Amino acid sequence: MNARAARLRWARRWALAPGLLLLGLTLLAAPLLGQVYQPPAYGSDFPLIGSRNAIWIVAQVHLMFAAFVLGVPMFAVVTEAIGIWGKDDRYDRLSKEFTRLLLVAYSATALLGGLFLFLLVTLYPGLFAYLSEIFHISMWVYAGLFFFESATLYMYYYGWDRWKEGWAKLGHLGLGVLLNVWGTAVLFIANAWLTFMMSPPADVAPDTSPAMVQFWSAFANATWMPINIHRLIANAVFGGSIVAAYAGYRFLKSRTPEERAHYDWMGYVGNFIAIAVFLTLPFAGYWLGREIYEYNQQMGVTMMGGFMSWLWIVQAFLIGVLFLAANYYLWLGLGRIPGGERFVPYTKWMLAVLVIGFMVWATPHSMIADRDEVAAMGGTHHPFLGVLGLMSAKNTAVNLMILTTFLSFLMYRRANKIPTVSWAKTGTLAQGTILAVCTAVVIFYGIYGYFVPTLVRIGFSVYQVLAVLFTIVAVIGLDLLVMRKAESRGPIRWGEMPERSQYALFVLVITFTWLMGLMGFARSGIRQHWHVYEVMRDTTAHAATPALGYAAQVISACVVIFLLMIAFVFWIGGMIATPTLVAHEEPVVVPVRGTDPGPDAAPGLGLDPQPLPAE
Amino acid sequence: MASVDLKILAVGAMTIALYTTVANIIPQLESDLPPEVDLAAGMTPEQLVEIGGQLFAGAGGCVVCHAETPGARAPNLSADYQGEGPIGVRCHARIEGMACKDFLYQSLVQPTQHMVEGYPPIMPPADRTLTQPQIWAIVAYLESLGGEVTVTAADIPAAPADGAPEPAAAAATGAGLEAMGPAEIVQVECVQCHLYEGEGVELGPALDGIGARRSADELRRAILDPPSVVTEGYEELVGLMPVDFGRRMSAEQLESVVQYLSDLR
Repeated sequence: MNARAARLRWARRWALAPGLLLLGLTLLAAPLLGQVYQPPAYGSDFPLIGSRNAIWIVAQVHLMFAAFVLGVPMFAVVTEAIGIWGKDDRYDRLSKEFTRLLLVAYSATALLGGLFLFLLVTLYPGLFAYLSEIFHISMWVYAGLFFFESATLYMYYYGWDRWKEGWAKLGHLGLGVLLNVWGTAVLFIANAWLTFMMSPPADVAPDTSPAMVQFWSAFANATWMPINIHRLIANAVFGGSIVAAYAGYRFLKSRTPEERAHYDWMGYVGNFIAIAVFLTLPFAGYWLGREIYEYNQQMGVTMMGGFMSWLWIVQAFLIGVLFLAANYYLWLGLGRIPGGERFVPYTKWMLAVLVIGFMVWATPHSMIADRDEVAAMGGTHHPFLGVLGLMSAKNTAVNLMILTTFLSFLMYRRANKIPTVSWAKTGTLAQGTILAVCTAVVIFYGIYGYFVPTLVRIGFSVYQVLAVLFTIVAVIGLDLLVMRKAESRGPIRWGEMPERSQYALFVLVITFTWLMGLMGFARSGIRQHWHVYEVMRDTTAHAATPALGYAAQVISACVVIFLLMIAFVFWIGGMIATPTLVAHEEPVVVPVRGTDPGPDAAPGLGLDPQPLPAE
Repeated sequence: MASVDLKILAVGAMTIALYTTVANIIPQLESDLPPEVDLAAGMTPEQLVEIGGQLFAGAGGCVVCHAETPGARAPNLSADYQGEGPIGVRCHARIEGMACKDFLYQSLVQPTQHMVEGYPPIMPPADRTLTQPQIWAIVAYLESLGGEVTVTAADIPAAPADGAPEPAAAAATGAGLEAMGPAEIVQVECVQCHLYEGEGVELGPALDGIGARRSADELRRAILDPPSVVTEGYEELVGLMPVDFGRRMSAEQLESVVQYLSDLR
C-alpha cells in the first residue's frame, strides 16, 4: 500500500507539475498578454440570419418600443392637461389608462435595449470600442437618466389617485412633464451616437484616434438636432396612432353602447393627435434633408437621387395611404355629428385632390436607370412622368394634401356648430379667402418652379411651407373666434361609427410603424459601407447596403415582431387594469362645463368634449 | 368576437404584405462596395475600364449627377457636348497642353479646377471616398468614352495597406502637404478656390486682407469645419470646401497656416 501511495503521490506531483508550470508562465505572461491584446473588429457572425440582420432587427424593434414609451408620455401629459383645464375627467382617465401600459412597455424597451447592447458588444466590438471611447461619459449619463425616468414614471402612475385635487394635481401634471423631460434627454443622447456615425465632424479622419475626438463636436454633430426634432415629432405621432388603434380594438370588442362611445371617442382623440402632429413632420424632414445636403452633397445626392431614390417612392406610397386612411376616418365620422351631412358632398372632391396628390408624389423622377430602361422610356425620365416627378410638382402635391386634411378637420370641428357672433359670415369668408390664397400660392410656386434654376426652385418650397403653416394657424385662430359661444346642432353621437372606420385606425398604426422602419433603413443606409461615414469602413461580408426589396422583408419582420409584442403588452396591461369606463345604470348625456353642452367648450381643434352617453 | 380578431389580423397582414410587395416590385438597387483595383494582378486597360465603369455607375456615385439626360445636375459625359464629342474626345481640348488623363484625374480630385459653365460647383473630391487606383480606373473608363485609354499601371500609386483614401493633394501635386510651409500651402492649395494676390480661382472669398476680416479662431474653424464659417454672399457654396483639408495638415502646420492668414491684413 505504501509503495502504491508513493507512486500515486509521485504521479500526482508530475501530473501537477506541468499544470503549475503552465499557470506560472501564464501569470508571468499576463502583463505582456494584456499589453498586446487588441479587441477584434468583429465577433463571430450571428447564426442563420447574420450579424447585420440580427443587430438591424433588434435595434429597430427597440426603437419602435422606445418611440412608444417616449410618445405615450407626450400623449398622456397633453390629455391630462386637457382634462384639468377642460374639467373633463374622461381625458384624465384616458391618460392614466395609457400610463399604465407604459409600465409594461418600459420593461420590454429596456430588455430590447440590453439585447441590442450585448449584440453590439459581441458582434461589432471594434465599433463599440470606438464609440465608447468618444461617448463614454454620455453613456454613463444615459444609463443614469433611466433611474430618474423610472422613478418619475412610478410616481406619476402610482400617485395618480393620491394627487388628484387642486395644486397636487398640478404637481402631478408636473411629474408628467418631468417624465417627458427625462425621455427627451435620453432620446437626444442616443441620437448623438447614431448621428455621429452618419455625420462625424470634418476633423475626424480614418486615422484620428477616438481619444482625440472632441466630445462636444462629436455629440452636437451636423444632423443631431434635425434628427432630434424629427424623432420627437414622429414619437408623438406614433404614440397617438397606437392609442387610436388600441381604442379601435376595444371599440370592435365592445359589448355595450357606453363602451363603444368611450372607445370611439378615444380613437378620435388618438387619431387627432397623431394626424395633427404628423402634418408638421414633412417640414422637420425637409430640414433634416437640407442639413444632410449641407453636411455632404454626395450623401444628399445618394439619398435622394442615388441607389435610394426608389425608397422615396415607397415612402410616398405609405404617406399617401396615411392621408387617405386619416381622411376616410374623419369623413365617416361626419355621419355621427348632427350637421355633418352638409359637408359630405365635398368629400368626393377632397378625395380627388388626395388621390391626384398621391399619384404625383409617387411619381419617380431622379433615379438610376440602366441602359435598357432608359431605352424603354425614351430617356432617363419618362416624357410624361418626368414633369410630374420634379420637386415642384411633389411639393405642390404634398402641400395640397396637407391643406385637404386640415380642411377635413375643420369640417369636423364646425359640423355641429352654428356661429352666433355678428361677424360670423365675414369671418368664414376670411377663412375661405385665406385657404384660397394659400392654395393659389402653393400652385403658383409649383408652376413657377419649372421656369427657374434648381437652386431657386428648392427655395420655393420654403414659401409653400410657410404659406401652409400660416394658413393653418390663421384659420384656426379665426375659427376659435367665430365659433365662440356657438350654438350646438346637437351632441356628437359617439359610438355610432361604422366598424370599417376602426380598421382605418389599424391601417394607420401599421403604416406609421412600417414607415418608421423604412426611415430607419434610409437613415442608416445612406452611410452605405461605412460604420462611421468616411471614417470607419464596414469590412464584413454584410457591408454592401441591401436593395429595397430585401430591406422591406426585414422591416416587415420588425413590424410583425413589434406588433405581437405590443399586443402582449396590451394584454398584460389589461390584466392589471382598473376599468376606466364606469357605466351608469341609465345612459345619460353629460354636459360639459355645467349645463351648457355647447361647442364653445372646445379646448382645441376638433377636440370638443362632447357629451357622452353614460359613464 | 373571434371574427373581429381574424379581421384585424387579416387587415394587418394585408397591409404589411402590400408594402412588402410594393418595395419588391420596384427596381432593386443595391449599394455595392467599390470594387478593388488589384494592381498586383497586372490589370489590362480593358479590366481597368470595366472596373471604372462599375464605379462610375455604382459606388462612385458619378452617374447620379452625370446622367444621360437634359437638365441633369452635371454634364453628360458619354454624349457629345457642344460639338466637342463625348468626354473621351473633348478632354484633349479642354486645357491646352494637358494630357486627357491628367485633365480627367484633376477634374476628379479637384473638381472646382475645371468647372463647366452653367453647372453648379457641387461635385465632391473623389479621393474622399475612393482610393487612387479606383480613381484611375474611373479615368480609364472616361477615356474609353469615345477616346483611347492611356492609363497604365505606372500612373497608379499603390494603395495604402488599410485601404483608406489618400490625400488628394499628395496625389495631385506629387507632394504631400506635410512637405509644405504655410506660404506654399496658401499659394498652391488655397488658391485653387480662392484669389490671392491676383492669382488663383475666384470661387471662394479672396484671401487678400483676410486677417483683418477674420479672427485666428474663425480661420482655424473655417479650415477644420468649413460650413461653420460662412462668408456673406457665399452661402450657396457651403459644402464645397474640402472638409478634410485641415486634417491633412499636422497641428503645427495648421497653426502656421492660421498665423499666415491672420497676418494678411
